[in-house]
Amino acid sequence: MSDILPSIPFIIKGIGVTLQFVIVSGILGFLIGVLLALAKLGKKSISKVLADAYTSFFRGTPLILQLVYVYFVIPQVTPWDITAFAAGVIAFSLNSAAYVSEIIRAGIQAVDKGQFEAAKALNVPYRTMMRKIILPQAIKYILPALMNEYITLLKESAVVSVIGAMDIMRRAQIVSADTFNYLGPLTVALVIYFLMVRILTFFGAKLEQRMSFSD
Amino acid sequence: MIKVTKLDKSFKDTKVLNGISTEIVKGEVVAVIGPSGSGKSTFLRCLNGLEIPTAGEVKVSEVPISNKSLNEIRVKTGMVFQHFHLFPHLTVIDNLTFAPIHVKGIDKHEAESQALELLESVGLSDKKGAYPNHLSGGQKQRVAIARALAMKPEIMLFDEPTSALDPEMVKEVLDVMKKLTHTGMTMVVVTHEMGFAREVADKILFLDHGSIVEEALPSKFFSKPETLRAQDFLHKVL
Repeated sequence: MSDILPSIPFIIKGIGVTLQFVIVSGILGFLIGVLLALAKLGKKSISKVLADAYTSFFRGTPLILQLVYVYFVIPQVTPWDITAFAAGVIAFSLNSAAYVSEIIRAGIQAVDKGQFEAAKALNVPYRTMMRKIILPQAIKYILPALMNEYITLLKESAVVSVIGAMDIMRRAQIVSADTFNYLGPLTVALVIYFLMVRILTFFGAKLEQRMSFSD
Repeated sequence: MIKVTKLDKSFKDTKVLNGISTEIVKGEVVAVIGPSGSGKSTFLRCLNGLEIPTAGEVKVSEVPISNKSLNEIRVKTGMVFQHFHLFPHLTVIDNLTFAPIHVKGIDKHEAESQALELLESVGLSDKKGAYPNHLSGGQKQRVAIARALAMKPEIMLFDEPTSALDPEMVKEVLDVMKKLTHTGMTMVVVTHEMGFAREVADKILFLDHGSIVEEALPSKFFSKPETLRAQDFLHKVL
């Protein structure tokens, strides 16, 4: 075990890389997911069909394949020599958006129908109704599921190691290969991921508490 | 003020309203009564376009309701629901000022001072900072009435406003509604409160199976209902 001690800081540096993927993809995935959810709930049947097709495609194919596809196919068919970071962010945010859109759609549909009617009866325009009345209530249903999605995203980000991004996982594998010691580096990686998820869960629970002020 | 002509409303294969025609004049208080499932609520919801008629016409201040005229109609009508539908994430005062600020674009201070006056008139000035979930049913419904009034409607629609309340809270809500009748507000009230209908209404609409079976003055309706169905109904509820 002691022979990998000098390598631990090297693995720990991967936290920054992993976080970059997760934060950027999390934000982009959320924004795209909101748009998709609104399309699913809206009146236009074309956007509904497209949003549903999007979701079933990204949920129906392996994430690792989507990632590899973006990383290798884009440089083949376009002049863009895509970096591992860009490929990871594109694949993760598009994939996450599919799940987020379902979470938000379900959350909005969980809001009492009477809230929509009260807003309509008061002549509140659709956008204002969604932004100021429905979403603030839906967030209570959305948040727990969204936290799950971000935990999943954090853990699954480890697949970026297959396209060579220097995240926690990849660094642990490099140290393993260098030292022929698998127990040490991979255990370190396990502990890091586990602690990160615990921290995320902790903040998620705090946020949920704060949302319940009007109960 | 409101003119309903041969109104039909169906949900899929079920016909809920069947050829309803009536007229409600300005300042009139109309009580809509009838057995459950008779279409009372659906009728009321057709008056502000929460339901769009399958056939026939509803005109509010000469404007026929359609998907295009909904905004115009809803500016003129306020609605109070059986289950209140207050916005639970907003305080009482924010419930009242929400639509004036976001729909009419009224300045926040002005909206708040108007809201405070309304809260005063429904006897809830001390609850302005409370969240709806901390209020009793009767208080919630009074806030809901004030919220509708904050938009200064010409017509108020009440959909069984006391049906979800504990018995001891019915009176405080009816009292607020009575007070409102003295202001000359045009009101359409779907209700099971026969005492209220008899005392306050200018006209009774008795609905059964989606049709107006009897349209009469309360004094006449409650003492000498013409139709068998109304007699039968009154016999059961009184």
